[in-house]
Amino acid sequence: MTAILDGAPRLQRNWDSRAACNFIGGGAGTGLLLASAAALPAGSNYFPSALLAVALIGFGLSMVWLEIGRPFRALNVFFHPQTSWMTREALLSVPLFALAGIAILADQRLVPLPFQARVPVAGLASAAAAVGLAFMFCQARMLRASRGVPAWREPALQAVIIATGIAEGLGLLLVVSLFVAPPPAWVAPAAIAALVARAIAWEYYRQRLQTWAPAAAVAALHRISLPLQLVGHLLPAALLGAAIIAPVSQLPTAVAGLAVFATGAWLKLTVVTRAGFTQGFTIPFVPSRGRNPAETTRWPPQITQPGR
Amino acid sequence: MATGANHAVKAVPSYCYNCVSGPDLLTVKVVDGVATQILPNFAAAGIHPGDGRVCVRALGLIQKTYNPDRLRTPMKRTNPRKGRAEDPGFVPISWDEALDTIVSRLSEIRARGLRDEAGLPRVAASFGHGGTPQSYMGTFPAFLSAWGPVDYSFGSGQGVKCVHSEHLYGEFWHRGFTVAADTVLCRYIVSFGANVEVSAGVCAARRHADARIRGIKRVQIEPHLSVTAAASAEWVPIKPKADGAFMFAMLHVLLHEHPRERLDVAFLRDRTASPYLIGPNGYYLRDPRERKPLIWDSNQSSAVPFDRAGSVPSLEGKFSVADCLEIGPDGVIWRHEQAVGATAFTCLVEHMRAHSPEWAAPICDVSAATIRRVANEYLENACVGETIEIGGDLLPFRPVAVVLGKTVNNGWGGYDCCWSRTMLAALVGALEVPGGTLGTTTRLNKPLGNRLATVRPGEDGFMAANLNATDKEHWTAQPTGRNAHRTLVPLLGDSAWAQALGPTHLAWMFLKEVPPHWQRPSAPDVWFVFRSNPAISFWQSSRLVETMAEMPFVVAFAYTFDETNHMADILLPDATDLEATQLIRIGGTKFQEQFWEHHGVALRQPAVAPRGEARDFTWISTELARRCGLLESYNAAINHGTGCVPLTGSDYDFSLDTGRAHTVEEIWDAECKAATAQFSNGAEIKDLAWFKEHGFYTVPFKREDWYLYPTMVENNLRFELPYQERLSRAGRELGNRLHEHDIHWWDDQLEEYAPLPLWDDVPARWERALRKMGGDPADYPLWLITTKSMQYSAGNNAGIPLMNEVGRNMRGHGGVIINVETANRLGIRQGDAVEVRSVTGCTRGHAVLVQGIRPDTVVIIGQFDHWKTPYAKDLHFPSLNTVAPISLDLTDSTGSGSDLVRVSVRTSVQS
Amino acid sequence: MTRYVMVADLRRCIGCQTCTAACKQANATPPGVQWRRVLDLEVGEYPAVRRVFVPTGCQHCSDPPCEWVCPTTATRRRPDGIVQILYNLCIGCAACAVACPYEARYKVEKREYAFGHEPTADEALRADDAVIGVATKCTFCADTIDAGVARGLTPGEHPEATPACVNLCISGALAFGDIDDSESRVSKLLRENKHFRMHEEQGTNPGFYYLWDRDPS
Ligand SMILES: Nc1nc2c(c(=O)[nH]1)N[C@H]1C(S)=C(S)[C@@H](COP(=O)(O)OP(=O)(O)OC[C@H]3O[C@@H](n4cnc5c(=O)[nH]c(N)nc54)[C@H](O)[C@@H]3O)O[C@H]1N2
Ligand SMILES: Nc1nc2c(c(=O)[nH]1)N[C@H]1C(S)=C(S)[C@@H](COP(=O)(O)OP(=O)(O)OC[C@H]3O[C@@H](n4cnc5c(=O)[nH]c(N)nc54)[C@H](O)[C@@H]3O)O[C@H]1N2
Ligand code: SF4
Ligand code: SF4
Ligand code: SF4
Ligand code: SF4
Ligand code: SF4
Ligand SMILES: [Mo]
Repeated sequence: MTAILDGAPRLQRNWDSRAACNFIGGGAGTGLLLASAAALPAGSNYFPSALLAVALIGFGLSMVWLEIGRPFRALNVFFHPQTSWMTREALLSVPLFALAGIAILADQRLVPLPFQARVPVAGLASAAAAVGLAFMFCQARMLRASRGVPAWREPALQAVIIATGIAEGLGLLLVVSLFVAPPPAWVAPAAIAALVARAIAWEYYRQRLQTWAPAAAVAALHRISLPLQLVGHLLPAALLGAAIIAPVSQLPTAVAGLAVFATGAWLKLTVVTRAGFTQGFTIPFVPSRGRNPAETTRWPPQITQPGR
Repeated sequence: MATGANHAVKAVPSYCYNCVSGPDLLTVKVVDGVATQILPNFAAAGIHPGDGRVCVRALGLIQKTYNPDRLRTPMKRTNPRKGRAEDPGFVPISWDEALDTIVSRLSEIRARGLRDEAGLPRVAASFGHGGTPQSYMGTFPAFLSAWGPVDYSFGSGQGVKCVHSEHLYGEFWHRGFTVAADTVLCRYIVSFGANVEVSAGVCAARRHADARIRGIKRVQIEPHLSVTAAASAEWVPIKPKADGAFMFAMLHVLLHEHPRERLDVAFLRDRTASPYLIGPNGYYLRDPRERKPLIWDSNQSSAVPFDRAGSVPSLEGKFSVADCLEIGPDGVIWRHEQAVGATAFTCLVEHMRAHSPEWAAPICDVSAATIRRVANEYLENACVGETIEIGGDLLPFRPVAVVLGKTVNNGWGGYDCCWSRTMLAALVGALEVPGGTLGTTTRLNKPLGNRLATVRPGEDGFMAANLNATDKEHWTAQPTGRNAHRTLVPLLGDSAWAQALGPTHLAWMFLKEVPPHWQRPSAPDVWFVFRSNPAISFWQSSRLVETMAEMPFVVAFAYTFDETNHMADILLPDATDLEATQLIRIGGTKFQEQFWEHHGVALRQPAVAPRGEARDFTWISTELARRCGLLESYNAAINHGTGCVPLTGSDYDFSLDTGRAHTVEEIWDAECKAATAQFSNGAEIKDLAWFKEHGFYTVPFKREDWYLYPTMVENNLRFELPYQERLSRAGRELGNRLHEHDIHWWDDQLEEYAPLPLWDDVPARWERALRKMGGDPADYPLWLITTKSMQYSAGNNAGIPLMNEVGRNMRGHGGVIINVETANRLGIRQGDAVEVRSVTGCTRGHAVLVQGIRPDTVVIIGQFDHWKTPYAKDLHFPSLNTVAPISLDLTDSTGSGSDLVRVSVRTSVQS
Repeated sequence: MTRYVMVADLRRCIGCQTCTAACKQANATPPGVQWRRVLDLEVGEYPAVRRVFVPTGCQHCSDPPCEWVCPTTATRRRPDGIVQILYNLCIGCAACAVACPYEARYKVEKREYAFGHEPTADEALRADDAVIGVATKCTFCADTIDAGVARGLTPGEHPEATPACVNLCISGALAFGDIDDSESRVSKLLRENKHFRMHEEQGTNPGFYYLWDRDPS
């Protein structure tokens, strides 16, 4: 029996823009933590970018808190680490905020005097970045675990989530640097690399979905691809490239960074709220309704005498 | 509600009869006095063909009971002006004031005379949906019979745009007011639009599902892929109203493409009038002395009366007959010294010669090969010659049937389709025998409760038929009702139901404009309406509403406001389904597939207290009778059996004291006792209390009593087929009567009285009528038809949110179903707002693009387009009725019309 | 062991929605929430078109993705195969809803009534705040089954111990019972008929079988 037309896939409405904010804030925030920690040895100031990172992650999680049906039972979210990536994400957020928080306070010498000298800011920052990365990975796996939404359960989406997280982190670092201090030299090239990775991951993800995902989902992603590649990748890469070759001022790199973050946010908003189509219903066989006459004539309902 | 303990939970048995395919049995779960669930009554498993289950619509009765828009007190109109735009200004009043207002009107009529100068009853009453309201109006029929003459002419579409011609022809030929397949045994069903999986109720749903599992084949022939076509082995997308041609071609195949002995020659010879000889003037050749139709006795090679003992009638041939006569219309006698008579069967064979599958194919837009295959499969499965043992009797076994749906079996083409279907059964002996085509109940022949008892030997070897007289002396020149059913439709007869099955749209039309030489009927002084909404259900609903506005005094028994009681003067809130008491008959053989192996009675009882001041209809009827001074005859009517069963029998007497008013409980307690005494032949007497606990009482009903064939054999009667001598004579006489009164606007209809029906090109007839109405068929290229929805009982539950919520799961609900290619051609996309326009109106809905529909056809499910019924009016669903013209040209000789309209469809933005 | 499953015979189903309404009434679900929902699918192109009615709802999978993703363990699979939700544990995050390949889960934020702002008497009587803001789905009428089994009745055979949708199905399409009991009606039906499961490739091992033809073997 040939593949049968399915019951139309429907746009899921359980996770809305607030859920998207969790991926937007969480991804960019943990990416920024990573970038900030990496930039620390090169002497860039940890406090502002790390604070922004923590704020972004906090914003994301609070939006989810607003979305769930029973916010006052939020603590129940910790109960199922064995298999639930949402539990793991929640669990990781504790050390994440702790480590980042202390690192920020230490960086600003706000910890009590006796501890100031002995607090290894760089170490804490790296630990926070590592937990952040794990946090970002949990978010990617949360989407992959959503078996009811083809565009989310496609494994290739994970690479997109990670790549954009990192790219946005570097981007935001470039933005913050505008107000703080010039970033280490390696940040711009690293950002370009991250952009290239994101661009490739994105196209690979769309190409994977092409063959089997609901057409409406593929279309929703297709609609943003061109602007994403132009504004999200080509433009920032060009700006960053120019800045590397002939550094003039920090504005272009900051603009590039902002573009990377904004298009990353847009990408995730689209994936969650526009491409979230269910797979609908399919039946591989059409039921028989009764039979052709030949078969029924052989069937005897009750004893029948041939001919009167 | 915590599901814990300390809740008073009751299970209250009752019934649902909200559509003609009932009644079905149910249980109401009541928690702390509140009805929460409708459940099956599994005590009826093995007795009720659906094992005590009810359909989705019965589950809507909970929301119906607690609908916040229910009227809870009697109300009176304060704005004397009536019309859609006029606010009636209803204000609450007491029951006393309401009843006294009505009774004063009635007393005034009684003083002036129950009939007006033209002899038309001054009181009219309309009940909807195929008679089902009778199971909800308690003893109101007893009040009406105590009152006297009542005009039931004003209809709602039930009857004339319902299963109409099938009622009349079905009862005339084989006592089949409704006709069904014997699904339990049938193996091959050819269904022309019978939407049984939606419209034939719980019994059909179960039986047809079981049949599918054991291997039945049903071929559903209709313009769109309905639910029934979906659940059939094959769907054949036929052009609307071409079914007659398809069936003519099937008859052609059976008669011309198979050896004669493949047919049931014995049945044709002995159980039909096939051998009767037809004279040159088209009437039976009869012997001069007894005037009995002659047959050709093959033993003695001579013409003898049909009932000559020992004769073996010739089925076919032309024979020269000496000294015989023909009886024509109005007593005309043609004496023949010598006449050549062909057998009716030979006339049939000749009549069908030209109607080959090749002829029918272009008319139906179905390949000749398909038509031929269906005919051959039908014959192949007929098992001609086989028998089956049913309840100790050996009966013919013919597991094939042809069934028709609304729109096919009414309006123009209804005659040739009903006749063809019945002939297809007769040719293989499958009429009224196990496995074959069954009539399921009677409404035009008495006694109503027992179909077999209506068979009495009549003239010419046929059953007696009570046609309305067409001879000069007895013809009712002066109509006795506003739809002139006795005057215009001989086939109807004059039983209690006949008037409601007359051309009820003529009653509405004649109030406004009268055809030449016809007296304009007066509007009834008082019009009772219950469970019917003509303003929504009928054709050209907008024009009908204007006519209704001219009714001087309307009493509406009302559940909520609706489009019809918008014109009422008094609204009376009746206690509805789960709030009132009534006993009705169940089982035996009734509408659609309600033929059981048991029969008896079932009780409806108050599962919950009536809301507000709603009152039990029996209380209302008793009060009206008492206040009108008709208590004596009202109680007598109940004693006689108008409530449910006669209250006295050979060895029991539960009759009511006619001198006083009785309570609802007293009346129904007596009915319970009398019913159980009757059905158990005095062995058991159960009272109301017993019924409140058990819900129903049944005794076995012999399975062979499903079939009319044994009774026909017992009385040695023949089915009046194939040749319609009696009908064509009545038609000629009716023509003479009308022309004597210079009435010519019924001439088209008179042409339909042919002895062998001609192929009626209904599409061409529709286009002629369209031009007459000032339209150009090219501007209205598509055919609009309608179909029932499983979630709706006509418009009865359009105000129930649950029905809309679950109904939306079905494609086309509340929309305009159109073919994908046709839509693309018209620039219409899925879900677009579209306008469906006919020459008389326009209705709007959203487009539903599907593959499963003919490119030249659009479908609108159900009857909506409400503007007053709460909740329903905010759905903004379209309706065929808004665009269907009410027209004499589209009315056939039985007085009915099909739900078929030529329309154009375009997106609202384009127009 | 016991594993309760649902069987829907697509040859019998006529899309009457009686089961859809029966479930709503048995469980007092608010407007729009249909734990049982029957689809109306069209297949093919004119005139070779088929139309099929398909009852859907929670499949009570033996390897349910909704259980893995649930952060609170509110979703739990019972030993008898029924996948239940403990409303008092659930935080209404809807991870389960997006993890379910069968669109079986619902969540309502606030109380809604059939006729708008005012509840009908039965809605008022049965209003239950415990189901606001949490995930809900077909429960295989677990309360009815447990009460019936406690009285020694067999789910799927005795109406008092059988899900409402099965009891109310007018065509006999729905059947319920223990697939591990070879004598049960569902086991018999699965032996005698060809069947498939929806989205079987998702590997959730759904407990909802669709019959589509006799199996002569
Ligand atoms: N387009 C279209 N039109 C059709 C049909 C179709 O298939 N399509 N079908 C036709 C056929 S076959 C028929 S038989 C007719 C039937 O059409 P009608 O004879 O008009 O019958 P209903 O639509 O059932 O009318 C029900 C009315 O009764 C009211 N009502 C419901 N319950 C109660 C109650 O408990 N008490 C009181 N007092 N009132 C109540 C409702 O508010 C509603 O206004 O429709 C015909 N019209
Ligand atoms: N659920 C439900 N059941 C009901 C009712 C109800 O309102 N709801 N009403 C009851 C009543 S009063 C009646 S009269 C019966 C009616 O019972 P049915 O006659 O079975 O009712 P419909 O569904 O209108 O059937 C019409 C079918 O005929 C097809 N059709 C329309 N025009 C043509 C045509 O020209 N040719 C052919 N071959 N087919 C055509 C349509 O596709 C449609 O599916 O139903 C009864 N049962
Ligand atoms: S088929 Fe008709 S009478 Fe029977 S339960 Fe449904 S609505 Fe009531
Ligand atoms: S159908 Fe969905 S909700 Fe039900 S058990 Fe399977 S995954 Fe969970
Ligand atoms: S909504 Fe409730 S049941 Fe569903 S995943 Fe969240 S906590 Fe678990
Ligand atoms: S098993 Fe119970 S809860 Fe599940 S769909 Fe059926 S009636 Fe509803
Ligand atoms: S009640 Fe039965 S026949 Fe009706 S839709 Fe549900 S499963 Fe199908
Ligand atoms: Mo009807």
